[in-house]
Amino acid sequence: MTELPKKTNKKLGLVIDLDICVGCHACAVSCKEWNTSGHSSPLHDVEPYGDDPTGVWFNRIHTFEVETEVRGSKTVHFPKSCLHCDDAPCVTVCPTGASYKRDEDGIVLVNAETCIGCKLCSWACPYGAREYDETAGVMKKCTLCVDKIYNENLPENERLPACVSSCPTGARSFGDLGDENSEVSKLVNEREGYNLMPEQDCKPLNKYLPPKSNKDLFNNEELKPVSKNNNFEDWINEVENASK
Amino acid sequence: MHPSKSIIFFTVISGTGYGIFIGLLFNILFIEISYSLNYKLFISLVSFLMIVLGLLSSTLHLGHPERAWRAFSQWKSSWLSREGLVSVITFFPMVLFYYFWINNINGYVFLLIILCIFSLLTIFCTGQMYATLKTIPSWNNSLVTPIYIFNGITVGSLFVYSINFYFNYNIFLYEKFIIITIILNLLLKISYWILIRQKSNTNIQTAVGIKSKNISFFEGPHTGKNYLTTEMINKSNNKKNNFLRLTFCILTFIIPLYMINQYSTLIADQFILKLSMIFVFILALVGMIIERYLFFIQSKHVVGFYYGN
Repeated sequence: MTELPKKTNKKLGLVIDLDICVGCHACAVSCKEWNTSGHSSPLHDVEPYGDDPTGVWFNRIHTFEVETEVRGSKTVHFPKSCLHCDDAPCVTVCPTGASYKRDEDGIVLVNAETCIGCKLCSWACPYGAREYDETAGVMKKCTLCVDKIYNENLPENERLPACVSSCPTGARSFGDLGDENSEVSKLVNEREGYNLMPEQDCKPLNKYLPPKSNKDLFNNEELKPVSKNNNFEDWINEVENASK
Repeated sequence: MHPSKSIIFFTVISGTGYGIFIGLLFNILFIEISYSLNYKLFISLVSFLMIVLGLLSSTLHLGHPERAWRAFSQWKSSWLSREGLVSVITFFPMVLFYYFWINNINGYVFLLIILCIFSLLTIFCTGQMYATLKTIPSWNNSLVTPIYIFNGITVGSLFVYSINFYFNYNIFLYEKFIIITIILNLLLKISYWILIRQKSNTNIQTAVGIKSKNISFFEGPHTGKNYLTTEMINKSNNKKNNFLRLTFCILTFIIPLYMINQYSTLIADQFILKLSMIFVFILALVGMIIERYLFFIQSKHVVGFYYGN
């Protein structure tokens, strides 16, 4: 049914630390690798070696330039996948009931057997989490690796979403955000984790941790010019002369 | 938003088909003359074909058209599902009305009123489907649904007018009704264009969420396109949009108003003259297709903030 559950037993989700992420795309690649043979398999590519390749990806890394409190700006790498919202608009707009949120853990999934491929869910999602597979004619999306986190054939320490286990910097954490005492909830409290686009009222489960302030990195000393010369050529000459 | 041809065709054609019933109701209410059988057959055939073709074309953009029947199940939460369900229910009063009207059986006015209610409900569901999408700020307002309804009524009743003209039924009050509809529609449209100039409260700051005076897009996830960028992000050209708005206003509002004014006292005796009003209707329909194209091309999905749009 496309009505949202009143309450889910768990609120499984991700916490993404923007202070640590280096934008290596390992999470996106391992996501594609796991999921192309998982619940929503295959994740089609169209013209993968052609001039204009496209394909289905559940996780993508965007990059922003952010002005910092003190001096200049910093590059922020911003991975984004489905946020498994509590008030998921993609679920309620679905006309067939193919799109649903699970009672037991809050994961939002698509039933590929009943999806008619009307794409309305992708319009309703503000985060661009839904991916239309034009080869299969159905909508696909991040499953929070539902086929990995409960997989009893795997050792217990590997039962994590592929993006979390592959992150080399530990920028991604996975856990129950509904449980106040879970590691992820503590992390969110400690670091003032926030929701993306709160005004869209989707109540996303995934949280983002902001980059740390650079206030204390500088002792407020003025930067001195390295040379009196404003002209680049003159400056080169000056450096050359000094090294002679 | 990417303007999908089948969605534009569907909403304009079926909306016009439903609008014909509204026009016809006023036509019949204002003056009850004995309409000729050909008139009845022609109006019935065109309205039926428009609605059926429109609904069929709506399934063309689906990934799995053969599963379309499943869309009737989620009417409790989904406006798209409600639209599908109401549009199918509408066929019952529609077919009954055709039968009663063509065979001159009493009660056809009552059936037409029921049919009009369901027709309006169908367009209402279509409008609500767009108007409830918070992710597209220029759709998420209270004018979208009334515009959808008025668009259907305007072009639909213009069709009835053009057929009246062909059959030389001069109905003075119906003429006034159509002029008022066109002017109201024009006012709605202008208010909508002013309204969508407002900035939405979603922006790159809320999208990325970092507290900073200045956030700018640096790099996308990949150099190529993807489903999101082709479906929801398009470069919209203001100059072109304004030209299209003007073209739409001329085709759908100005030309019909001028022609109705010119023709109000005229009795069409020549065949070409009789057809001319139908030609005006076709122009108005083309204008409506431009309007629906604009509805998509000038709307921005908030996911664009993640792609520097």
